Amino acid sequence: MSSEKRLVGRRLLRPAWPVRPERTFRRWRYPFTKRPVLNLTGKFNPITLKREMVLTDKKPMFWLVGLSALLLLPVASGTERVLTLFGIACIYAAINVMWTLIIGTAGLQSFATLATVGVGSYGAGYLSVTYGIAWPLMLIVGLLLGALMGFVISLPARRLDGLYYALLTLGLSEFMRNFVTQSDALGGKFNGALFGVAKIVPTLGTPRLTQTVVFITTFVLLLLALAVFRAVNGGRIGLMLKTAATSKEDESFASAIGIDFQRARLWVFMIASGALGFIGAFYSATVGGTSLQIFSLDLLLLMLAMIVIGGLGRAEGAVIGTVIVVFITQWFVDWGPWRIVVVGVLALLSVLYTRNGLFGLKAQLREIRTRRQTLHRAATTGRYAEFLPQEAPEIGDKSVIAKRVFERDLRGRLRSWISPDLIAEHERKPLGQHSDHLERMLNYFRKAPIPDKYAVYCEEPFARYRVVALSGLPGVPPRVVDDKVYDSLDAAYHAVFLRRVNDLRAS
Amino acid sequence: MATISVTGYTDQVSVKPGETVDIKISAENTDSAHVEIVRLIHGDEHPDGPGFIEEPIATSVSGDYPVHKQFVDIGNAVVFEDPAGMLDLDGSLSMACLVFPTTPLKGRQVIMGKFSLEETAGYALGIDRDGHLAFWVGDGRETDEIISPVPLVHHTWYLAGVSYDASSGEATLFHEAIVNPYNGRLGRVAPFDHTSRVQQRLKAKVARSTGPFMWAAATNAAPARGRFKDFLFNGKIDRATLFDRAVSPDELRGLSTGDLADSQPLAHWDTTVGYGSSGIDDVVRDVSGHGLAGVGVHRPVRAMTGYNWSGRHDDWRVAPEEYGGIAFHDDAVTDCEWETTVSWTVPEGTRSGAYAARVTSGDAQDHIPFFIRPTSPTAPILVLMPTNSYLAYANEMIVHHVPVGQAILAHAPVLTEKEADYYQDPKYGRSTYDHWVDGAGVCFTSWKRPILNIRPRWRSSAIGTVWQFPRDLSLIAWLEHHGYDYDVATDHDLAADRGLLSGYRVVLTGSHPEYWSEQGLDDLEDYIAAGGRLMYLGGNGFYWVVSYRDGEPHLMEVRKGEAGMRAWQAEPGEYYHQTSAERGGIWRNRARPPQKLTGVGFTTQGFDECHPYRRMPDSYHKSVAWIFEGVEGDVFGDFGLALGGAAGLETERYDLELGTPPHTKLLASSTGYSDNYAGVTEDILFNHPGLLGTQNDAVRADMTYFTAANDGAVFSTGSIAWISALPCFGYENNVSQVMKNVLDAFIKPGTLPGAGWDQEEKSWT
Repeated sequence: MSSEKRLVGRRLLRPAWPVRPERTFRRWRYPFTKRPVLNLTGKFNPITLKREMVLTDKKPMFWLVGLSALLLLPVASGTERVLTLFGIACIYAAINVMWTLIIGTAGLQSFATLATVGVGSYGAGYLSVTYGIAWPLMLIVGLLLGALMGFVISLPARRLDGLYYALLTLGLSEFMRNFVTQSDALGGKFNGALFGVAKIVPTLGTPRLTQTVVFITTFVLLLLALAVFRAVNGGRIGLMLKTAATSKEDESFASAIGIDFQRARLWVFMIASGALGFIGAFYSATVGGTSLQIFSLDLLLLMLAMIVIGGLGRAEGAVIGTVIVVFITQWFVDWGPWRIVVVGVLALLSVLYTRNGLFGLKAQLREIRTRRQTLHRAATTGRYAEFLPQEAPEIGDKSVIAKRVFERDLRGRLRSWISPDLIAEHERKPLGQHSDHLERMLNYFRKAPIPDKYAVYCEEPFARYRVVALSGLPGVPPRVVDDKVYDSLDAAYHAVFLRRVNDLRAS
Repeated sequence: MATISVTGYTDQVSVKPGETVDIKISAENTDSAHVEIVRLIHGDEHPDGPGFIEEPIATSVSGDYPVHKQFVDIGNAVVFEDPAGMLDLDGSLSMACLVFPTTPLKGRQVIMGKFSLEETAGYALGIDRDGHLAFWVGDGRETDEIISPVPLVHHTWYLAGVSYDASSGEATLFHEAIVNPYNGRLGRVAPFDHTSRVQQRLKAKVARSTGPFMWAAATNAAPARGRFKDFLFNGKIDRATLFDRAVSPDELRGLSTGDLADSQPLAHWDTTVGYGSSGIDDVVRDVSGHGLAGVGVHRPVRAMTGYNWSGRHDDWRVAPEEYGGIAFHDDAVTDCEWETTVSWTVPEGTRSGAYAARVTSGDAQDHIPFFIRPTSPTAPILVLMPTNSYLAYANEMIVHHVPVGQAILAHAPVLTEKEADYYQDPKYGRSTYDHWVDGAGVCFTSWKRPILNIRPRWRSSAIGTVWQFPRDLSLIAWLEHHGYDYDVATDHDLAADRGLLSGYRVVLTGSHPEYWSEQGLDDLEDYIAAGGRLMYLGGNGFYWVVSYRDGEPHLMEVRKGEAGMRAWQAEPGEYYHQTSAERGGIWRNRARPPQKLTGVGFTTQGFDECHPYRRMPDSYHKSVAWIFEGVEGDVFGDFGLALGGAAGLETERYDLELGTPPHTKLLASSTGYSDNYAGVTEDILFNHPGLLGTQNDAVRADMTYFTAANDGAVFSTGSIAWISALPCFGYENNVSQVMKNVLDAFIKPGTLPGAGWDQEEKSWT
């Protein structure tokens, strides 16, 4: 770390990566990928021109630390209660990550998540209980059932929008619950409880060992879910959907450039549903059975709270939100119903005060800081000249600042010369020698930078002219400033002049 | 339906009867166009004149032609043919070069390599999106890259290179800056630490790509247009080397110190090899012995200062080893290389003149100009169309790029649709009045591309009047109206045929013959000295040095030097032409001011109004009074299609110190100019208040006349606006009268009128 003390206001600046020009700098990558372990980018500090190394993408590091902690803490604690708690958290987190894929990436307001998990869970469980299939087969069955389910519920998504689709999918959970209750084969007799399902992890030497292995398998499940999320959301299909993400206009735009976002959306839905079915089967094969709880509305709402608290649309949000909520509901069991109240309050707070849950906080805080900085600079405006004080650090070419100071004074002088006589003088003779005041004013106008500089546009030589403003940007055509048409060049020149005088007045 | 557009160019500026001109047309949103050959008579649509006049010619090629969109593979590069495939590496390799990026932040750029974006295959050293040095490999499916952690600083010389070991995938990318007090934008006091060496294991291997090895570009392809260059680089590249094995960065450093020979590189390109005493070609030579030479496309700029420029020399001929820089620009175009749409063999007997292929499709029309000159003189008069100067302004876009443009030009620009469109996509290159994207002045201009403003009817947005070619057509129309027999030839014909002028009794210039090659000036001077007669009908003529390479008359070089009214200035040490090895800039600074040839030379320019001339006392001397026969009063030329006067825009003055022949008569002068008419910069030593029109006596336009040996003579009008006054009032006016007086006298062989009046006494009318 840098040995120099570098200051920003009252706090020390984040430590800088060391720069050693005499040494070869090695870029390490994660095995089998092109991802850098540390995505360090070099830059020159604009204040000192010294070289700096900045970590541009810290996410992989946070993931590594976060997931390691999630794996190691429960294992190290060794108590069955903690292991169970985090095992549940991992399964819920996996579900929520897939749900995020549906809501965030595909942009479908589906509440059939738990219904899909349930289908996988009951379907695979039933086959295991009835036909004694082994757990690997159960997982495959879950996957297929989930995908089938996904396909079926995706059909109305083509026609139904937002709220109606949400209601429909919500109803589906309730339908499933009723279906199971009335089905003897699925344990209707036992209030929907299905048990005796083949287990992935057999009973091992000690309950603690068993729990540890179970926890590790759930952790692997979460990793798988994250991998699916990464592959879909970060892959080609995710990119396509991002184009159509936020509004109806975006959808039209995406269609216009040849992206079949409907199809991409359904694919994501199918993939996520398959994964949810898989998780359902995994759940049955981990617990050794399943219950109607899986279709319950309160669980669904709890999971929604997890996503809201963590931050909608992001995998890290889904994981952290789940861990927090599961911890509150499972660890403080003695609080009874108050747990739910606490979760509700947390969800409410994050809806009210954060833009996008926990993981939206960073951007939000940064904005607050920028705003406060601006206000602070604004408070000291007196010391600066003719520009918004917060701009000064962003102006690389300081001569621009000097020029503005000069022009402020010049404009003051020019403004005082604006008079009906002066305007009449220009109208009489736009080109040629003018009075000193008018000449100086014209020179100021004519020397202005190109962006938004007025020009004449000839629609028909010697007959139709308009006033336009140049863009100053290569590739961007001049913009027509109004609908007035002038029949002579002199009239157009004068129209340009009047506009410039107006701008000078307003400046 | 989308808007139809048609445009094109001809392969030659000028042809003789019996020769063939190839017309190349590109069209959008249509598949057919009607082509006719027309003779251009008048090109200024100002309502005070006769308007646009063209004369369709019955030819065998007139008719409908299938047309399609033709693309331009824009941008400089050096392409290495490499028929033996030695550069087609797919294993370990190393390369290094000396490089001077000028727009490191423009987006991905290839400095050198053999990379095909379309095939995702090959290898290249380049600059990534954020301005860091990068090395890319593509295995046919995916690319991998190693990126330097230190950003490149623009206008700084670097030794940059990479060493790549295919067996381990290990790549080492390095660069270090080479900064001396002269060679870059910044000196050594700017505390940048540029040294970087980074190592990384690459996942992808190098796969062979079908595109060529190139400097400054990668290969790409699209269905509609086939293969084209992409990832173009802006900046200079000096020497470079390539190895087909992994070589340590320390060994590659030998490139800058000159001891590379023992390392046995696959290629060692020494950009300073092959410089001739008469110029530099487009070939980049390999001194490794493997003969891996490359050729520049769209003429990369050579004779640029190199990484080792000591600042001691300002001429590449003195120290070629310090001038290894080759400048590349992603917007350079010197030859569109389009397919020919129509070939017209000019029939014998076709009269000489300004012609155009008129291409029409739907509402779209374009006149693609070219000139026909006679096989041998058919008349005593030769109109010498200043095609060098047309080329200099070809596709000029000053008003869009130069903030002070409106101050120079005294009014808001007057844009048209075609120009606004072209500004959006300047795909046909720029003029010598513009800058390339990286800010360097454009020093090459070419005929082999569509040119917006060498067209009849085109009005310059900057000036608000016609400029150059369409103005010069007013002279053609005037000659036609008055029934003179005349031939038309161009600067390009003068270059191709040294004896051209001697066949004529009088030579008429265009309105603004500003750009001259040494040979052109020599021939004109020889012509006058031998008894020829020149009517110099323009302003700001015989001003800039230009040069062409033999066999490439379409491509002109200009280097604007340390003086003159100039849109840019060559970088220090880069004033010498690569084409001809002569010093560029204004002829005045090479001891050849225009006054020595014509009696007058550039003195001021302004674009708000033009003025009449007033006769000066000399004009009443009997030796010249005949010039004003039939002209009433002292004042003439108070009208014109150019801002209302015959004297103005750019004007000339008589100046004995600059070589006006001492016996020159000052016939007339025009004064009263506004402050927009500023004195020319080459006259300014100290700038001070009072150099603008209302306070500066040098701001005027002088009309002069002097006789030369063997009944030779030179009549100079000293004003660009002169020709635009000719068509007013049905071609019958006092400017026209003066023209007729002089021309009628000049076409008669033998003694000139007034020649006998060689005394002051009793010689005044």
